[in-house]
Amino acid sequence: MTVRLKGTERDVVTIRWIPKYTTIVRLGHWLHTVTFVPLAITGLILYTPLFQSLAQGEAGLFVRLAHRIAAVLFGLLPILYFIIEPRRFIMSIQEFMFDRDDIGWVMNAFSYYLLGRHGVMPPQGRFNTGEKMNGLIMCVTWVVLGVTGLLMWFGKGVISPGLFHWMVLIHDVAMIVAVCMFLVHLYLAVAHPLMWAGLVSMRFGVTSAAYAAEHHARWYYGPKRARQLYEEARKKAAEASH
Amino acid sequence: MDNNKRAMVDRRGFLKLTGVGLSGLILQPSEQAFASAPGEDEVAILYDASECIGCRDCERACKECNNLPTEPVPPSDLSAITWNLIKQRKGVDQSDWPFFNDQCMHCTDAACVMVCPTGALYKDKKGFVAVDEDKCNGCGYCTQFCPFSVPDLKDVNLITGKAKVGKCIFCCQNQPQEGVGRVACVEACPTGALTLGWREDQLEVARDRVAQLKADGHSKAMLYGESEAGGLHRLSILLDEPSAYGLPVDPQGPITLSRVWQKIIQPLGEIALGATILGVIGAFFVTRRNIRMEEVE
Repeated sequence: MTVRLKGTERDVVTIRWIPKYTTIVRLGHWLHTVTFVPLAITGLILYTPLFQSLAQGEAGLFVRLAHRIAAVLFGLLPILYFIIEPRRFIMSIQEFMFDRDDIGWVMNAFSYYLLGRHGVMPPQGRFNTGEKMNGLIMCVTWVVLGVTGLLMWFGKGVISPGLFHWMVLIHDVAMIVAVCMFLVHLYLAVAHPLMWAGLVSMRFGVTSAAYAAEHHARWYYGPKRARQLYEEARKKAAEASH
Repeated sequence: MDNNKRAMVDRRGFLKLTGVGLSGLILQPSEQAFASAPGEDEVAILYDASECIGCRDCERACKECNNLPTEPVPPSDLSAITWNLIKQRKGVDQSDWPFFNDQCMHCTDAACVMVCPTGALYKDKKGFVAVDEDKCNGCGYCTQFCPFSVPDLKDVNLITGKAKVGKCIFCCQNQPQEGVGRVACVEACPTGALTLGWREDQLEVARDRVAQLKADGHSKAMLYGESEAGGLHRLSILLDEPSAYGLPVDPQGPITLSRVWQKIIQPLGEIALGATILGVIGAFFVTRRNIRMEEVE
């Protein structure tokens, strides 16, 4: 898809869009967000004494009920996605696997994304290392929050008090990790200038070819060509530094 | 240049204010703070198992005083509507003082108070653990963390989570601000097995009584509650090991975990959240200074 923006012939900007996410994936992502936000807010109300007044009495009962409804939806969505698109689900998991390029990405990410120094970043697949880390943490916390949450919900008087205590502690720690990761994810998606395409692609399902070539070269060019371009760029950078 | 300078100051000021504000919120003193040792003006019930005849007058008085409904079947344990219960000691015949009066132990280091997220369970200045039912949201953490398994939930809906906690409240509706006060189970006890007084005085009486019982041949006689869980406000003179009465020898386990949760994990979690928020705000300004949107693609 090509979009021509208004302007003189010299100022014309042509963006070639390429598909990145299917409608089901985007719907799943946004529904997961819509359920995670109330889940996190109600969880924090019950967790921290700062919001104690909201956790009391009838208001607290409502908060706990809202937490449970959001938790059920949040828990069911990935399962539903697996049922609807099992092949794509497994393919996505494969795309989230870490490899040696992720180490290089992590080592350069700070200066690249925070300081804007366009050093040579190792080629990334459809998901970059940061997205993989977010995905990994979300998957782990989804499982941990689900298991501990269900045991806290239905386990009183069924499991031993000792096990219940650990479920509460682990649930809290997993919640903190998930919320911190979500805050970073939210910032990068909404406010970071180099990540604008992430929000666009999650909204419209497409990303610009130029952005894909720079940020997701292994996905855009294929592994062989991406590696070749990366090595050439590294060589140029090394020569320039001499 | 001036504008830039002003913007820098404003930004710094904003970050400082945000930091100070968040730190203040995180470090504010918790209302759930608990005393580490019983105070001098605290009261305690002293139960002497060697004086108890198992008449159950204490149970009846507790039900009447606190308007508690009767159980459909005779209870074998304390519940949200049975706050006082005569139990039988394990491994003894009927002639050897087999009874034990079970009720809330009103711990100084009360795990139920520590884990209550609503403040519904709180420590009264006289030392006992009271309940503000209007504040309870039915989470049931207290039922799981109490080392004596005393608090219980009533009107439970497993799906919605609706419930209210119930446990001995030391007849707090009858407690005057000053003096020792009155407790229904104590007033109903015909043998003096249950007595109410200042905790320090009760400890002295209990120590003397234990010494007397030992002199009479009850070698296992002991005082339970002097130091357990920071010191109980329901002291017990026992004729056997605590386990024979269904009491934990060391009730500290759940209390320590409650403390780790409330005093370490919870503040650390709040600090982590605050640091993430500050980090993201800081990263936003640093990134905006270094990367111009118009330069991106």
